Amino acid sequence: MRRNTTALVGSRLCAALLLGLLIGTMPARALAAERAPSVEELQQKLDESIKAIQALTERVRELESRQPGTAVASTPAPAATPPGPAVAPPAPVAAPNTADTARIEALELQLGQLESANAGRGSADTGLPLHGFADVGVATHNPINADLKGFNVGNLDFYLTPRLSDRSRALFEMNTEVSSKGQVGVDLERAQIGYQLADQATVWLGRFHTPFGYVNTAFHHGAWVNDSLRRPGFLNFEDSGGIVPTHTVGLWITGAPRVGTGKVQYDAYVGNGQQIQGGIIDMRSAGNTHGDLIFGGRLAYLFNSGATEGLTLGVHAFDARIDDDALPEHLTRVLSYGGYAVYDTDQWENIAEFYLFDDEDLSGSSGSHRSHAGFVQLGYRTAWGVPYARYESTSLDQTDNFFAAQTSGASYHRSALGLRYDLGSDAAVKLEFADTQLTDRSREHYSAGLMQYAIRF
Amino acid sequence: MQSASDSRPRRTHSPRAAQRWLLGAALAALSLRAAASDLYVVCNAGVNLQAADIRDVFIGEKSFAGAARLAPADNSSAQAAFLEKVMKLDARKYATLWTKKSFRDGTNPPPVRATDAEALAYVLQTPGGCSYVLRVPTAGVTVVAKF
Repeated sequence: MRRNTTALVGSRLCAALLLGLLIGTMPARALAAERAPSVEELQQKLDESIKAIQALTERVRELESRQPGTAVASTPAPAATPPGPAVAPPAPVAAPNTADTARIEALELQLGQLESANAGRGSADTGLPLHGFADVGVATHNPINADLKGFNVGNLDFYLTPRLSDRSRALFEMNTEVSSKGQVGVDLERAQIGYQLADQATVWLGRFHTPFGYVNTAFHHGAWVNDSLRRPGFLNFEDSGGIVPTHTVGLWITGAPRVGTGKVQYDAYVGNGQQIQGGIIDMRSAGNTHGDLIFGGRLAYLFNSGATEGLTLGVHAFDARIDDDALPEHLTRVLSYGGYAVYDTDQWENIAEFYLFDDEDLSGSSGSHRSHAGFVQLGYRTAWGVPYARYESTSLDQTDNFFAAQTSGASYHRSALGLRYDLGSDAAVKLEFADTQLTDRSREHYSAGLMQYAIRF
Repeated sequence: MQSASDSRPRRTHSPRAAQRWLLGAALAALSLRAAASDLYVVCNAGVNLQAADIRDVFIGEKSFAGAARLAPADNSSAQAAFLEKVMKLDARKYATLWTKKSFRDGTNPPPVRATDAEALAYVLQTPGGCSYVLRVPTAGVTVVAKF
């Protein structure tokens, strides 16, 4: 009986234990049953995330490899992406990828086409740019002809520099100008075609500005380029009151090789001997009848460092046989030589030139004649303008046929104060007050106030 | 009345995430600044040019590098940095210099490209071509100097 009771208690206890174990393990099993699919889902999402990241990484790498100049190595490696349950849900990342990729591809295609089109577009199919200068003004004495007063039209100057292949170069300057007689005319001021042998040598053929001094090859016909309102009187162009052959038709070699810290600028030229016609030097663009020549040169050193940076010191000379249209005709050997100094910096534009003339009468018996001309100009570039002062003087032998035959061959001296005020990068207003004294053909003395409005385009 | 956007559950960032964002932004700003400070002067692969000659090339004083005729091009998107670092000129003086140069010598100013990509494409395609860019140049061009 006791044994039976014990067995019964034991069996009940076992049942209770089994029941308890069963009851006790049911929540855990149930929880385990719930957790099992969640882990799988997370694993699946993690796999999707990693795939999406890898796809994005590959896409970025592909885009960067197509884009020039981008370092591919800067693309982060896929392994650097931290795996684990903390990764954000993949859906928001993967969803915009397709749409964005399509848009990026479309934009990339357009950009590539634009870049290719722009890169392939050369200057040849955009035409030849036309640039130039123009100026107008008003004066109590005209800057070219002192007998005229009031408003005046200066120059309308166009220049062309066509882009030529390889070593060929060209420069054409066409100027519509008002002469000293008030007549409007059009001149082909420069027509030169050149061949660049090297950086240090270019050969030009045609009509060019005779390389002497500084002003004649620095400012040309564009008033805007010049800080002062006008050139020194004796260096004006032939039909504007000048007394030296500012143009030559011929051959010119020029260059500026580097020597030391600076450069040596050299010029050598030969051309048609000029002729004085109607009191004005003509450069004989079509040749002359006697075949005589002008030849000359210029040599200068351009300082490019230290305290002398911006300084140029040079010498120049020309030898010409120049006749005139008088009866009987005069033929003069004109030998001119001199020197010049320029100090051109951000602040200063100081220029000095002088010319000596040692002429010989080849057609008569008047013998040799000595004359001289020169000027000094000081200019200071400030934020508000460029004030300048200039003194110029000539002493020209009036028994020298070369000067006697020229309308503007009289001696003079002139003092001037002026101001250039830039209205912008392409327009300037200039004022000048000058006092001029003629010293031989007449003793006329006059003061003048001048204003000029000059532009470039 | 609450707007639709207000009714959305707001996304919150942990302080750690905020720190990461700040760090990333700072690094990005630093890298952009570093990139913006670099200027690369590049030439066509066939050009052998010294850094000391760059200024002369872009003001028309040097037209040849050995037998190769140089064909410089300005890059308007990088020109300010180029003028400041290399030419030591402002844009106005550079333009004036070329106006006078062209008028006196018959030389033409460099053509202008609008972007780094255009400048690089020009250099790649043009024998003797040279230009400058702000981004790391692509392969196929010669980096003459980095400023």
